Amino acid sequence: MKKLVALTLSLALAGALAACAPKQTQTPTPAGSDSPSGASPAPASQQPVVINYGISNPWDSLMPYNSPSGSNYSRMVYDKLYDRLAYVHADGALTPRGAVSWESADGGLAVLFHLDANAAFHDGTPVTAQHWADTIIRMTDPDCPTLGRSAFAVLAGTDGTGAAVEGETLGAQAVDELTLKLTFKAVTTPEDFLIDKNREYYVLPTHLMADTPAANTMEMDLWSAPVGSGPCRFESEVMGSTITLSANAGYQLGAPGFDRLVITVMDKSSLLTALIAGDLDYYAIGGSVAADSVSAASDAGLTVLEGTVPNTFYELMLNNETISDPRVRRAMELALDKELLAQQSVGSYGCVTGTSVLPDCASYAGDYNVSYDLEGAKALLEQAGYDGTTYRLACASNRAGLAALMQQQFQEAGIPITIDTVDSATMFSGMADGTYDMGIASHTPSALPLWFVESRFTEKNNIFHVQDLSAYETLIQAVKDAPDPTARQAAVQALEDYLAQERPFVPLWFGTALHVQSPTVSNIDYTSASFSNENVWEWVKQ
Amino acid sequence: MVRYIRRRLLTVIPVFFGITLFVFLFLDLGPGTIADLMGDGGNFSDADRAALETRLSLDQPMPVRYVRWLGRLLQGDLGTSFQTGRSVSESIAQRVVPSLILTGTGVVLAILLAVPLGMAAAWRPRSGWDRLASLCSMASFGVPGFLLSLGLVYLFSVTLGVLPSARMYTNGTTGTLPDLIRHLILPASVVCISSMGELVKQTRSACLETLGEDYVRTAWAKGLRERSVLVRHVFRGSLIPVVTTILSHIPHIIGGSVVVERVFGWPGMGSLMFSAINNRDFNLVMGVTVVIALTVLGTNLLLDLVYGFVDPRVRHGRSQV
Repeated sequence: MKKLVALTLSLALAGALAACAPKQTQTPTPAGSDSPSGASPAPASQQPVVINYGISNPWDSLMPYNSPSGSNYSRMVYDKLYDRLAYVHADGALTPRGAVSWESADGGLAVLFHLDANAAFHDGTPVTAQHWADTIIRMTDPDCPTLGRSAFAVLAGTDGTGAAVEGETLGAQAVDELTLKLTFKAVTTPEDFLIDKNREYYVLPTHLMADTPAANTMEMDLWSAPVGSGPCRFESEVMGSTITLSANAGYQLGAPGFDRLVITVMDKSSLLTALIAGDLDYYAIGGSVAADSVSAASDAGLTVLEGTVPNTFYELMLNNETISDPRVRRAMELALDKELLAQQSVGSYGCVTGTSVLPDCASYAGDYNVSYDLEGAKALLEQAGYDGTTYRLACASNRAGLAALMQQQFQEAGIPITIDTVDSATMFSGMADGTYDMGIASHTPSALPLWFVESRFTEKNNIFHVQDLSAYETLIQAVKDAPDPTARQAAVQALEDYLAQERPFVPLWFGTALHVQSPTVSNIDYTSASFSNENVWEWVKQ
Repeated sequence: MVRYIRRRLLTVIPVFFGITLFVFLFLDLGPGTIADLMGDGGNFSDADRAALETRLSLDQPMPVRYVRWLGRLLQGDLGTSFQTGRSVSESIAQRVVPSLILTGTGVVLAILLAVPLGMAAAWRPRSGWDRLASLCSMASFGVPGFLLSLGLVYLFSVTLGVLPSARMYTNGTTGTLPDLIRHLILPASVVCISSMGELVKQTRSACLETLGEDYVRTAWAKGLRERSVLVRHVFRGSLIPVVTTILSHIPHIIGGSVVVERVFGWPGMGSLMFSAINNRDFNLVMGVTVVIALTVLGTNLLLDLVYGFVDPRVRHGRSQV
């Protein structure tokens, strides 16, 4: 009798566990599609070929123009679901994606994009220039609660926020079914536009949105099971944890070499372990791995490769209000042994710099780096009459070691600092409200000269607390207005000279990440992840 | 009894609203909002930031935002996640069941192992069982969850390759029970080991105390069998503190385990709360707070009711008995 009870209880427990399987958001079967995913389904007897992709931070909304963070993690997901105009390689080279070619028009004020005739949404509707134009018209509509709308501010007919101005012609028109014309406020080359904005322009299925007022765009059910035209189709999602995509067999650049792509959020510290254990095939962004984990990864049979172009820029943010004398700020730069700091942080995969402009940038005006000079730093401090004030430095927990080394180097120069280990939001808000005097941050660089400087010297985003922004604004505007490459390089040089003199922030180094991936996947152009795009249509799972 | 329940309910309601107010206040006082994370990964302008703050009402004073949030809560609406733009209830609904499975299994296993072990340790002090119980307690209290997780992953996933190191199901499969159990073994073991220490300790001390009671000596004197004394008298007599400890794990079961879920990529409530806090998703933090607060208060109410049912002095107030 007791055994029977135990057996019954075991069966009940097993049944309860089975019933507890998580409910996931399922895609409604698109019209005209035989399978929910629309991808070539694996035969019943055959397991689907799945690429397991890890990510350390969750994505935002699945609507690409409704992303509060605009983070690379979100963009990596959008990159799979939605199509972009071009594919940007790590070195800034451009290859076709949604558009097969592009050319300047109207004396450089416009760019014509010739779209791929084979591009289609996941419900089978062909992608036309009208879809692109309608997407931009809707996203620039002041009634539409678009996030990141400033990406459209470069277009004619928009104001500084990227919202369409009533009575003016918006610079997004469908010339014919497959030709999109974007008209800009200033002369813009297709290359500059695509390097800067390609990752922020996606085509939406506007044919499914026609009946929804612009104001209600973000509330549409469409975004819980989105229909894009990217290389992968949406299948299901556990919000902030797992998203399952299937291969879009009809993608115009080719069908991905897998059936499903499952993106799972995991702790950063578990990514490499999961890769070694065979539970992941690859992880974003670019599968970067710390230098001290290389031997563990290699010993486990994983492929470790060195990046070909810098994909991280490290800086020491400074509060120019509390550290008001530029001589003290310059002394700080001299007091830091950047080579040693880079070695501690990224091993031998860092290249010290005195500018945020990438060496590959056409307007590069030199590295502006100053060598470690303790005596020089002390002399500058004395000259500035530095009174020994103790400064507060904020950093994320994974940079505590770097911060401690900086503290030691500053101490040697006679600048005492205290370290606050905080999370990113606390550090950035603390820098913005003046709580901290310094902060260590890293960013994904772009090949454009103003990628870093332009957005950080404005009245409302004055994170370095510069008292008088006018000189920066003038110099930045001069770079933007430069009529030709030579003039632009001269303008960049003038800006960099001023930055070196004022030193509102200390550029530290460009990092070239190491990449690790499982031998189970091939054809990954991992370095292009720095432009938030991945060539998934070429990926092959063995 | 009804009056007693009513009285307890009346004290629970202000406590619940007090909790929500405090959490909302601390979120407001804490550094940073989701708007501060803008631009970390992209080219956002002042206008983008202002648009986000307006949309999320972050430009409104805290009391206004709290009253609005409370108004929606009273209508059963937990609001929309700042980050995903989707319903908070939907996010929580997706995460509660995995947390129940993971932490529930771990805690049930811990109960099944810890209670007999605690009893055996009390029954035979300084025996092998007692030493095993001490070892379990020390391991449970002394080894941090993340270290245990990484150690188990290293041993069973990386070195031996017998168990998966991450996720709830094998990707690309529909999620069968054997697959779930395979994925559950390592994380549930960590939860089990982490929960065992307190349970073993509590059971052992409660049983030791009961063993010294007069009615146990009487049972021995009556010539009852060892098993009968242990189960009918000692175990029953020790039940209240043990049940208290067990019930106190219920909020933990619902709330999930942040460390274990993060390390094992388990889609539970703990990891949801973790990323909600990191991303300053205030609505989601408040939603999870509501669920956890209701669970804690519900458990406390249940405990009070159990005490009140078992001991009339509690129900009527000690002075009246």
